[in-house]
Amino acid sequence: MSDAKTTRARTGGPAGDVRLAWLLTKGSDRREWWRVGLTVVGAAGAAGLGLVIAVLVPMDGQYHIGVGGGLLDQPGTRDGVVVALTLLLVPVFGFLGQCARIGAVHRDRRLAALRLAGAAPPQVRRIAGLETGLACLAGSVLATVVSVAVLLRMWHHPAPLAWAGIVTVALLVPAAGAAVSTLSLRRVVASPLGVVRRTRPAGPGRLFLVATVLLGVSALFVTAAAFVGDPFSLPLFGLAVGPLAVFALCLLVSAVAVWLTGWWSGRLGEALASRAGSAAVLIAAERLRADPWAAARTHAAVLLVTVVGTGFVGVRQALLADLATLHREHSLAMDVSYYSSGLHLTGAAIGVALTIVIAALAVGTAESVATRRRGLAAQTAAGVPRAVLGRALLLETALPLLPAVAVAGVGGTGIGVWYASLTADHLVVPYAAPLVPLAVYACCLLAAATSLPLLRRTLHPAELRYA
Amino acid sequence: MSTRHILLGLLAAGPSHGYDLKRRHDERFPQARPLAYGQVYTTLQRLVRDGLARIEGTESEGGPERTTYRATEDGSRELARWAREIAPPAPFVTNEIFAKVVVSILSGGDAGAYLRAQREAHMERMRELTAVKTAKGADLATVLSADYALNHLDADLRWMTTTAARLTTLTAEVDSA
Amino acid sequence: MNNGDGKVPLAARGLTKAHGRTEALRGASVELGAGEILAVTGASGSGKSTLLHCLAGIVRPDAGEVTYAGERLDRLPERRLSELRRSDFGVVFQFGQLIPELTALDNVALPLMLAGTSRGEARARAGEWLERFGVRGQGELRPGEMSGGQAQRTALARALVTGPRIVFADEPTGALDSLATEQVMTSLTHTARETHTAVLLITHDAQVAAYADRDIRMTDGVVAAAGVTA
Repeated sequence: MSDAKTTRARTGGPAGDVRLAWLLTKGSDRREWWRVGLTVVGAAGAAGLGLVIAVLVPMDGQYHIGVGGGLLDQPGTRDGVVVALTLLLVPVFGFLGQCARIGAVHRDRRLAALRLAGAAPPQVRRIAGLETGLACLAGSVLATVVSVAVLLRMWHHPAPLAWAGIVTVALLVPAAGAAVSTLSLRRVVASPLGVVRRTRPAGPGRLFLVATVLLGVSALFVTAAAFVGDPFSLPLFGLAVGPLAVFALCLLVSAVAVWLTGWWSGRLGEALASRAGSAAVLIAAERLRADPWAAARTHAAVLLVTVVGTGFVGVRQALLADLATLHREHSLAMDVSYYSSGLHLTGAAIGVALTIVIAALAVGTAESVATRRRGLAAQTAAGVPRAVLGRALLLETALPLLPAVAVAGVGGTGIGVWYASLTADHLVVPYAAPLVPLAVYACCLLAAATSLPLLRRTLHPAELRYA
Repeated sequence: MSTRHILLGLLAAGPSHGYDLKRRHDERFPQARPLAYGQVYTTLQRLVRDGLARIEGTESEGGPERTTYRATEDGSRELARWAREIAPPAPFVTNEIFAKVVVSILSGGDAGAYLRAQREAHMERMRELTAVKTAKGADLATVLSADYALNHLDADLRWMTTTAARLTTLTAEVDSA
Repeated sequence: MNNGDGKVPLAARGLTKAHGRTEALRGASVELGAGEILAVTGASGSGKSTLLHCLAGIVRPDAGEVTYAGERLDRLPERRLSELRRSDFGVVFQFGQLIPELTALDNVALPLMLAGTSRGEARARAGEWLERFGVRGQGELRPGEMSGGQAQRTALARALVTGPRIVFADEPTGALDSLATEQVMTSLTHTARETHTAVLLITHDAQVAAYADRDIRMTDGVVAAAGVTA
């Protein structure tokens, strides 16, 4: 009892933690401000999506809504929109994950130093949680204010359930941000010296394994339920299970993609490192070998979007062909645009997802350059041409991504062909589908190339002055 | 440093004569000041007088006459006592450099210029010693004795560097006293 | 290609350089003879490292000139400077010059590969240099797996593998104990003298400076006292 009291007095309590968190952030690197800024943006995106879902889910029956080409008017199509929006959360989370990595080495060292200076583990966790939580709160508040303003213009008296959903989402986003941030610091808290020395786990973490198994089990459950009974017939339960099941399945696919890329990057790195004839390839290969999971983490969301995108292009082509046939036979209940606008909306959502994923990739590459800035400056000082370092940087993205995107593209095209074979009696070749992985690959290279200017600035010898 | 004990130590390996002792001394302690033959001779006589060594015999195999000495029991005991005894960690440092700095301030000379010149001389000697120790084929005894000297010169240099940086304060202090 | 003894391959006059509001160099002049080992000593912040950066063409001085083999380094375009640093100069820092993901052998082979040598031949020659510096057995280790002294000897091998005319060493033993310092400095000076390579050695340690032929001392961005040529 008295012990707890003295600890509280010594550490200054939560108010002291807030001040400490603020001081540490204020006095820190410019890159840490980048992290805070991008976290606010990411949190605003997540909260915005969450808010729309929160308003749509409790709606029951027929409405007349001015946006979305009438897709939001009926419960069936509305559910589809909810699923799509839920899926969009995946790349947003990926983006937030990348943001957390900006200046992470520096932040972790700072917190480890705090720990070495005598701060108790809970205090370090609180400070880190506060930092991220407050950034997420800012983003969440921003999104909520805008969303509510828009909502009130369109819907004068929203249902109480919608209000409850809005409040829940607005609070959930910062809470989740703080929780994830606290969780990710468990290594700093457990072994401050380990972080100062920058030890890296050799493979995927335990958390990752548990998540994959849980996702696998839930996917099995949903599949089994689909055969045994029809859980979707129960109104509220079905409403929740449908989107959640697809959401879980997509996460599972991305988890498998991470595994594949990680495994492949390591093998590829080893194979190339022993055969590389040029300096750029050698550097890139050895970096892949040293930390194959870095590429895997960065590229998981890219692969997911590639699968979904390629599949969608195939499905879209089959559906449009179908619609055209039905239109010719005058057997459509509604106007063609009613059906096609749904497809356009889905396409737009995938486009948004791709943009987010590519942005996350650019952020990740920039962070990798910033972290290694002293070593890179030393290489330039030793006469390693900037072009070689730039090529190595691009290869680091290009090499592991090439086979992964190819596999994702083939998978996605397979889904498209399979779907088309269900609807049409003749074989439909989704000729546009293979263009998607190509486009994604090109976009990724462009994203990686955005850090070349940063690399150029980093190679300034002034960086040699900092240890 | 006790020449008595060093000679006793060299005799511990077995009987030996004056010239041989001098040669072995200079070989074992390469960076030390070489022993003068006269000093070896007088020290051996004192050892005999104190009962720590005795004359083993005299030989003259086709050359000048040589007296061979051997350590006595007392001599071995004295050597063991000395080797165990710790050396006093330099209680009174006779610092000629510091004395010269103070004197040159007192007499209105340029202490800074003196320190710079002294520093140069020290560096020159350190370069010589480094050349000796890094020469191909240098044995460990040479390396270690050169290191010993280098570390002492380095200590002087460090002291000179800090002193040079604080000459103004020192001048004010010396002049006001 | 090789200048005769005593000819000055590298000379700097009146160098000034400011980092923001701090003036690191305030009119420093220095000359480095062919095959000469020159130590630059001085307190922290006296401008030693900035002088090395200017001389090695890593940084352009604000004013003053740097001449290397008849060329004005301060006026060369970056591409040419980079080429020069690769072919004619070698650099060794206190740490960080080895790529952490590459093995010792590949780190040393890298400059040769950049110059167009095939990987196999580059590795063979790198092996010879590692042998020379007594770290042949550590060839397949990565910098993080070596001791500080082994890493620095690998860095020396990397700096010397292309046969440069000048090696720039900035506190190469700054993070080492005295025994490792002795090994690194002995390796460096022996090889430099055998291959007639000039060395510009930045150090705050007089015992390290004593490995050089000559030493100069920097205070507040200028060369305070030129040493006696050995």
